[in-house]
Parts: sequence; structure tokens; C-alpha cells
Amino acid sequence: MAAPIPKNKRRRIALGCEGSANKLGIGVIAHDAVTGEPTVLSNVRHTFVSPPGTGFLPKDTAAHHRSFFVRVAKQALADAGISISEIDCICYTRGPGMGGPLTSVAIGARTLSLLWGNIPLVGVNHCVGHIEMGRAITGAQNPVVLYVSGGNTQVIAYAEQRYRIFGEALDIAVGNCLDRFARTLEISNDPAPGYNIEQLARRGQTLLDLPYAVKGMDCSFSGILTRADELAAQMKKELSQGKETFTPADLCFTLQETVFAMLVEITERAMAHVGSNQVLIVGGVGCNERLQEMMCAMAAERGGSVYATDERFCIDNGIMIAHAGLLAYETGFQTPLDESTCTQRFRTDEVFVKWRN
Amino acid sequence: MATDSSALEFPCSLTLNIPFPDARLSSIALQAIRVDKELSAMVQRHLSTVAPSEDTTEKSVLQVEYKATTNRMLRVAVNSFMDSLAFVLEVMEELDADVLEPPSS
Repeated sequence: MAAPIPKNKRRRIALGCEGSANKLGIGVIAHDAVTGEPTVLSNVRHTFVSPPGTGFLPKDTAAHHRSFFVRVAKQALADAGISISEIDCICYTRGPGMGGPLTSVAIGARTLSLLWGNIPLVGVNHCVGHIEMGRAITGAQNPVVLYVSGGNTQVIAYAEQRYRIFGEALDIAVGNCLDRFARTLEISNDPAPGYNIEQLARRGQTLLDLPYAVKGMDCSFSGILTRADELAAQMKKELSQGKETFTPADLCFTLQETVFAMLVEITERAMAHVGSNQVLIVGGVGCNERLQEMMCAMAAERGGSVYATDERFCIDNGIMIAHAGLLAYETGFQTPLDESTCTQRFRTDEVFVKWRN
Repeated sequence: MATDSSALEFPCSLTLNIPFPDARLSSIALQAIRVDKELSAMVQRHLSTVAPSEDTTEKSVLQVEYKATTNRMLRVAVNSFMDSLAFVLEVMEELDADVLEPPSS
């Protein structure tokens, strides 16, 4: 399809819809028509929180997204103060993520596209959304990217129009490890299990013994989780016997120190390979201040620095989908309606990053 | 389209006719929902728009025909369809162009 005919406007505008996990996010972004400078016009999110000791299941999560889509969309449009006729494209998360939740949001995006006069759709890779938003907000030029969330753990560097994966978790994501351990300890999932682990970890006093599982450029977390769960069971047993034992805070502290050290190591390895001393941390786990602190210490030793965004952009959101989608749209990319499906597996390096040199 | 062997393999079936105010809306619902394939090979679905009666040519009714190998698969598929349909209807009611930006009278 030919590149879109540039409208005689000061700015291009995209609506973005995200729902690959338990966060439903809808946002509106504007790109200056001449400079491409991005402006966030609105960024609205609603999170599906499950009770302590449980995780969010696909069917319930999809139902949540359907239930809140209209509300969140209306708020996003109202906050942005735009009219429908100004929207150039509607972007949605194609993948990766959970099937049912992804599809529920895609149906919403398709319906809006059709209702509003066949506005073009753009399917976006969730990981690329995080990366592009991180770059836009922090201004980082060509950093090594650590993308860490409940669903993904990847070390990424840009080369020749692809975001190449240099290292990754071999089994479960680091955020998944943390979230599942929160369930073991029955820590609240509100606002997020990882956030509550971080707060509890600050009160930890004892560094216990956990396996350390870096394997070359990659790392593994499921064995660490198993051991952490064993320690938690041991702690509960000793408490019930009235013995002195370690605390949940000690466990959280130990788990964070261990998995974050692993992330710092594989990030540093990629930096050495690529010859970069800049790190950009994106994804929900990137909000964690202890992780940022440890990464900063490593980067400083190499004469570099760390870029991170705040919870508005770290945590899954619609604006990153709008931004990455609009970047693609501006190079002539569109997703025909009949092809606007979703996929649970969508590798970061599958995307042709035409908008960069 | 339905052959004898197809009826044997997928003995459980259900046809739903969902009326919309006009053909524009029934067509939008059709286009939004049909993109995603049925997840199970044990279920077949056919979506189309049809006229509500012989008196009109406007195809304002969304028709969906489900065929499945078991009643359980049929129920699961139809329930899932109803969830998506209810969602599409809500989006239409609340976010259609003339609802968000009422034409000045």
C-alpha cells in the first residue's frame, strides 16, 4: 500500500489500545508533522487486580478489558481534547501476550476503526512499543535495552533496522518469578505484586541462599522460584513451631538481590559486546528502584548511565502502542482489517524498524 | 455448503439472528468479529448479514451459524461469541461517531 497522503495538518495523531496482560491502556499521541516530535495527549489505564494468592487468568482478564474499554476510551479522548476526524490511525497490540485479552482489545480497535469512517489500523509489537516509548521519553540515543516485565525478559540492542535480542530468560520472565512469589507469600496484588515485593524487600535484613542462574547471555528463573517457594514453606513451618526464623521481608530482599544481579550481569555482557555504555530499562519491572540502583552502579563503573521512565510509561500502557504504531504508519505501514489478528508469540526482532536508519 | 458428512462430523448446531438498526451496523459487527478464527477444530462458524424479512433488501441482521462436534464445544463457542457481540454493541452505543460528536441540529 502506498504511503499515506500527508494531510495538511500541523500534527499526526494516533489512538493506541493495549491489553496483552492485566492492564488495559488507551492513549492518544501526536507527532509534529514537520519534526516528528511526539506529544502525549492522553494516557489512561485500568488494571485488573486479582485477590492475594491468585494470578490473573485469561478469561477473566479478557472480560475485564471488554468491560472497561468504553470507559477508558472515552476518558482518553476527553483528556486529549481531539475530535475523531483528527485521528490518522488506530493502533492496537498485535502481540505478544495472552490470547483472549489481546483479542478482546483488537475487537474494540476494529470496531472503532469501522465506526469512525474506516480509520487505518496498525498492529504493534508490545516489546517494540516499550522500547520506542522509552527512547522518546528519555531521549536515549542508542542504548542497550533491558526489557523486563511479568511476561518478558530480554536484553536488546538495535542494529540495521531490527531490535536484536542479545539475551533473554530461558523459561519464565523475571516479573513472572516475582509475581508468583508474591502469591506464595499471599502479598496483595494491588497496585501490583512486584511493587509490594519491592516495599517489603526494603525491610529485609538477611541475605539468604538462592541459586544464581546466568547462562552465558541468558538467564533462568524457574529454579530460583522453586527454591524461594521451598524457603517460604520452611519459614512458615518454623514459625508455626515457634522457632526463630527469617521473615518474608528477608525472602523478598534475597529474591530481588539475586534476580536483579543476574539482570545486571547479562545487560553488562551485552554492553561489552555492542560497545555501548548506555542502558535503557523498560517494562513494568523497570519501575523497581532497587533494580535501577544496581544498574546505575554497574553503568557508572563503565562510565555510562541508565535511562528509565516512570510508572506512566514503564507499566503497560496505550500511549506506547500509539507512538510505535504512528512511527510505523508514517513509513507507510498499515494492517488491513482482515489481517488485524493477534498472536501470543511475536518476537521483537520480527519487526522491520523502517523508521530508523 | 453443508454436506452430509459435515452434518455427521458436527452434529451440534445453532443459528443466531441478531437484529441491528441498519445494515451499516450489522456489517461493522460482522467485519469486527469474523477476523479471529475459531480456536478449536471441533467448531465451525459461518458469519453473514441477511435481510430481516422478504419485505426489505437491507441486510440489517447479523446471522451466525455454529456447528460443533459436541454440545459442550457448541456452548463454549457460542458463549464466547456472545461476549464479543455484547462488547461490540456497547462500543457502537457509546462510541459511534454521532454519539461522540452529535451533529448540530
